[in-house]
Amino acid sequence: MAETAIKYDSSKCTACKGCQVACKQWNQLPSPLLAEEYEFTKSFQSPLDLSPNTWLIINFSEVKQDIGIDWNFMRNSCFHCTEAACEMACPVGAISHKDNGAVVIDEEKCIGCRYCVASCPFSVPRWDEARNKTFKCWQCFDRTSAGRAPACVSTCPTGALEFGDRDEMVAAAKERVAELKAAGFTKAELYGETELGGLHTIVVAHRGLDAHGLKRDPKIGVTEFWQLLKPLGGIAAAATVGGLGFSFLMSAKYKRGEFTYDEATDTVVEKEVEK
Amino acid sequence: MRYIQRQSAFARGLHWIHTIACLSLFATGLMLFIPQVAGAVGVATLNGARLVHRVMAAIFIGAPILGIIINPKGFKHFWKSMVFKWDDDDKEFTKKFFPYLLFGAKQHMPPQREQKSGQVVADGAIVIFSILISLTGIVLVWPATFGGAGSAMWTWSLLLHDVSMVLLSVLLIAHIYIGAGIFKPYRGMGRLMFGDGKVSETDALYHWGTWAKEELRKGDKVTTA
Repeated sequence: MAETAIKYDSSKCTACKGCQVACKQWNQLPSPLLAEEYEFTKSFQSPLDLSPNTWLIINFSEVKQDIGIDWNFMRNSCFHCTEAACEMACPVGAISHKDNGAVVIDEEKCIGCRYCVASCPFSVPRWDEARNKTFKCWQCFDRTSAGRAPACVSTCPTGALEFGDRDEMVAAAKERVAELKAAGFTKAELYGETELGGLHTIVVAHRGLDAHGLKRDPKIGVTEFWQLLKPLGGIAAAATVGGLGFSFLMSAKYKRGEFTYDEATDTVVEKEVEK
Repeated sequence: MRYIQRQSAFARGLHWIHTIACLSLFATGLMLFIPQVAGAVGVATLNGARLVHRVMAAIFIGAPILGIIINPKGFKHFWKSMVFKWDDDDKEFTKKFFPYLLFGAKQHMPPQREQKSGQVVADGAIVIFSILISLTGIVLVWPATFGGAGSAMWTWSLLLHDVSMVLLSVLLIAHIYIGAGIFKPYRGMGRLMFGDGKVSETDALYHWGTWAKEELRKGDKVTTA
């Protein structure tokens, strides 16, 4: 299977949230039914963050201008990194790459350790306390493996979301960035071509990465630390055991006499012991 | 042969409880820390290990706190024995200890008080990292109270929990080697925590000369068997 990717073009996104709904419907992710379940923050963003039952949201960055505001939308979901920190950090191999580049969590294997939660540079995986498992977007692998587009893409009415061969998506995104620049969006940038080995969500950020809240040069920092700590810990433990083994051998012939204390004269007397 | 009662039944009991808790925590924690082990034991075992880890963590944290509440005098005594102004003997002991440990105990070591200066450093480090691993463990178990799983505090706790585990492992390997008397000059020391808590006059004078003389002069903890 060739590598595939979702392309998100912020300049075409109207934040209709159809993708959010489609994601919930296809993946059977319940939403809270009670009134005022979500905090009101004066933003049109809803819900405010990803959760174990919300794998995709459109982030709203509402920037005040002299007249009106700039709507800097951003699709917030798993980027399906090639160098996936979550996959590297998972101690039980519950997170893996599919042939098309999608990074998926095997719920059967997940033990809820949350190493992936701590390691993701985009804070995507979310842990569910009740189920003690972690959840995130799996790029609708059930659909894509059957030749269909992910649910979010299939419902997008404006063409902001597209799905296809990764190279083609990158090429189309580059072309779109050039078009946007020519049209006056001088800060327009492409995201995902090379970040973390190449993402499987390619973004056209028409007002630039910073305006859309995209992390420049994301790192797998915490995971790198673990990858260093684990062998270092092993080396430290092995060196300690080795050093003490050496000490054990060196002290094999150790012997000393018997000490007694004479309180009257405050002296310690050593008597040799015959062996 | 005279003996000095060095460890009380209460201290030995507490040490037994902590030994079992500590080894269980180490074994169950290691299952998650080493991916090859995690993969080998499987999900069901890991879920069981998670439960054992939490129960043992409660014992690991709770036992010493309960110990302080039940026996505050014992804790005060322990604390006093750990905190003292280092004299020349202590500095010399610390300087000579590693060559002593590594090269067959050929060094002549200066006399020591109830706690050797090296013991204070090693045990002090164990206490500090035990507190750190306990506090970070609490954050890991109740993420919602501390900003949620994935928050900066939670992530730092996870990192420090792992770092503390590595450092404690190294310290505890050395603690077992010396404390259980695997190191020949310390042969018989296992009796202090896993036996009747007594130390012979000869061992006491060799290891804790200053303290042994004081106790032998006072005589209230001295027995002949």
